[in-house]
Amino acid sequence: MPLFVRFWGVRGSIPTPGRTTQRFGGNTSCIEVRADDTLLILDGGTGMRELGIDLLARGDAPIVAHLLFSHMHWDHIQGFPFFLPAYQPKNRCVIYGAQQDDTRFHHLLSGQMRSAYFPVSFTELRANIISASMEAGEVEIEGVKVRCLEQPHPGVSYAYSLEKDGKKIVYATDSELDMLLPDSAQPDANPNDIRGLPQTFIDFVQDADLLVADGQYTDDEYPRHRGWGHPRATTVVDLAVLAKVKMLAVHHHDPMQTDADVDAKVEACRARAQSFGSDLFVFGAREGIELRI
Amino acid sequence: MYDTIQDMNPPTELTAIPVLPSPSIARPHVLQPVSGPLLPMLIELREDALIVGRATETDIQIPSSTLSRQHMRLERRHDGYRAVDLGSVNGIHLNGIRVHSAVLRDGDILQLGDAVFMYHEGR
Repeated sequence: MPLFVRFWGVRGSIPTPGRTTQRFGGNTSCIEVRADDTLLILDGGTGMRELGIDLLARGDAPIVAHLLFSHMHWDHIQGFPFFLPAYQPKNRCVIYGAQQDDTRFHHLLSGQMRSAYFPVSFTELRANIISASMEAGEVEIEGVKVRCLEQPHPGVSYAYSLEKDGKKIVYATDSELDMLLPDSAQPDANPNDIRGLPQTFIDFVQDADLLVADGQYTDDEYPRHRGWGHPRATTVVDLAVLAKVKMLAVHHHDPMQTDADVDAKVEACRARAQSFGSDLFVFGAREGIELRI
Repeated sequence: MYDTIQDMNPPTELTAIPVLPSPSIARPHVLQPVSGPLLPMLIELREDALIVGRATETDIQIPSSTLSRQHMRLERRHDGYRAVDLGSVNGIHLNGIRVHSAVLRDGDILQLGDAVFMYHEGR
């Protein structure tokens, strides 16, 4: 059975509505993955609001949503209080922690609904909302094998690998891969050389059919934002090439980037992949598109 | 020197101005063939749902063996149209990406077999 991946929010840091971001979209991270009847939701940025509306429009059957969060920064959780299925008692949301007995995500998610921040209390959500956790970074969710990997980001973030029936999708956002380079001067000194990355990261994304990865900055933008938790998009290309990924969706577009800027960033990524003789297919993650993997 | 407040602020004179076009006049969303069998037609999208394919019973028939009989459905949304692949053999490509479905945006290039369209948003 195929996996379906639908992008509901692809913007980094803060929502960016407006004409200049209309094509790629202004909502922050939220991606829907469906495997048969199993629904997994990767991050709860502002795109999660429209996902919730769409889920309700699909029919009256109870919704079971498995929620996997990269981390709890605002742009990855702000859509949850507007996720309408969470207000209906027939539905169920399972919030996964990245470690054993890890309920941090559940608590932080409910914390953003304290009265100082939001008018509706978490206790008013009528769905059955429960915590689950991974053991040794792994869990099986209705036949989908899920693994997670800690990533370099202020406060730490997690990448997720989803595998079923020989298909593999990796979601790896908010990960400053450039901080992992053994020689941080290499990209400037030898920009055309492929950048060495830790084997752990290569193994994690190895042979993925689709890698959805943080590619927030262009090479020109990155030096001004070093340490902010996001990589050069071109470094993500190198990871994908080294791991023989088939398709790379450059995700988490910087809020300052217009549609034309994202086009140019993606074009630079394609050129880099081609320069290594790779047949990696690169595209810009875009709100509203759905892939069949 | 001014004698009165009225002298300082003379009344506004009303003059006739041309009538501006109403912003409520709708312009439909359009598929413009840029290559393939339907050139040089312009296809105005007015229905809530449309089937595109090779078969004669489709809403938009494209006579080409590179299309499936029922290739794609176009669904109207609040902000335009969404294209959905109906399990076609050759798929639908949006700006070069094979997609299962996609919300269309102004200037998108949509390819079904050898038929290529540009999508123009209406208002």
